[in-house]
Amino acid sequence: MQNNLKMERARLKMTQADLAAKVGVSRQTINAIEQGKYGPSTILALRLSLVFDKSVNELFALDEDDLN
Amino acid sequence: MKTRYLFDPKWKKWGWIILIPAILLGLFTVITDWEPALLDIEMYGPFITDYSGEGSESGYLDNNLMNEICGILLILGGLLVAFSKQQEEDEFIQKLRLESLVWATYGNYIILILGFVFVYDFGFFWVMLFNMFTVLLLFILKFHWDLWKLKQSLSYAE
Repeated sequence: MQNNLKMERARLKMTQADLAAKVGVSRQTINAIEQGKYGPSTILALRLSLVFDKSVNELFALDEDDLN
Repeated sequence: MKTRYLFDPKWKKWGWIILIPAILLGLFTVITDWEPALLDIEMYGPFITDYSGEGSESGYLDNNLMNEICGILLILGGLLVAFSKQQEEDEFIQKLRLESLVWATYGNYIILILGFVFVYDFGFFWVMLFNMFTVLLLFILKFHWDLWKLKQSLSYAE
């Protein structure tokens, strides 16, 4: 799954630790999501969408592997 | 994160305090067959069988408690280390936890299958003895290895 969390985070001048604290997860989790190593749960994706004031579809997109 | 079956993080420290001495004591006991007379006691057993497997009845028997103490401490310490929450327990850590548990279960039964195929007679008793603890120990090793790797791989993209 692709995402543009890193870009959105930079737009709001937030660190990974800031974002992690806002959505209630560890910094490792934010890092793993940004690196594409982990796909968040629906609840976490919705929390992220609230922080960035964007829809989940604007933050995350399926890639080739997810479609097969 | 709310979790139903995990201990509070403070118990992990106590888990290590119990587990490490229990492993050392257990290995020492197995290697040297050390059974201090102080722990000789008459105990009640609901099912007593001899080595031939014959005779199953309840009654009292002479026993040394060292094996029981080592086994219980190992299980207790192992469970506390394995299933105490991390300070930052969240859904990603839970994923690592689940994957480590699956890995440890496979590892445990691969060891047992190898024991079935290659180890016989009294040697198999030792496989069974260690196999009682391998699932916990493999899980602890794998989970903490994964956590360590995760921390090492963190790129400070601040």
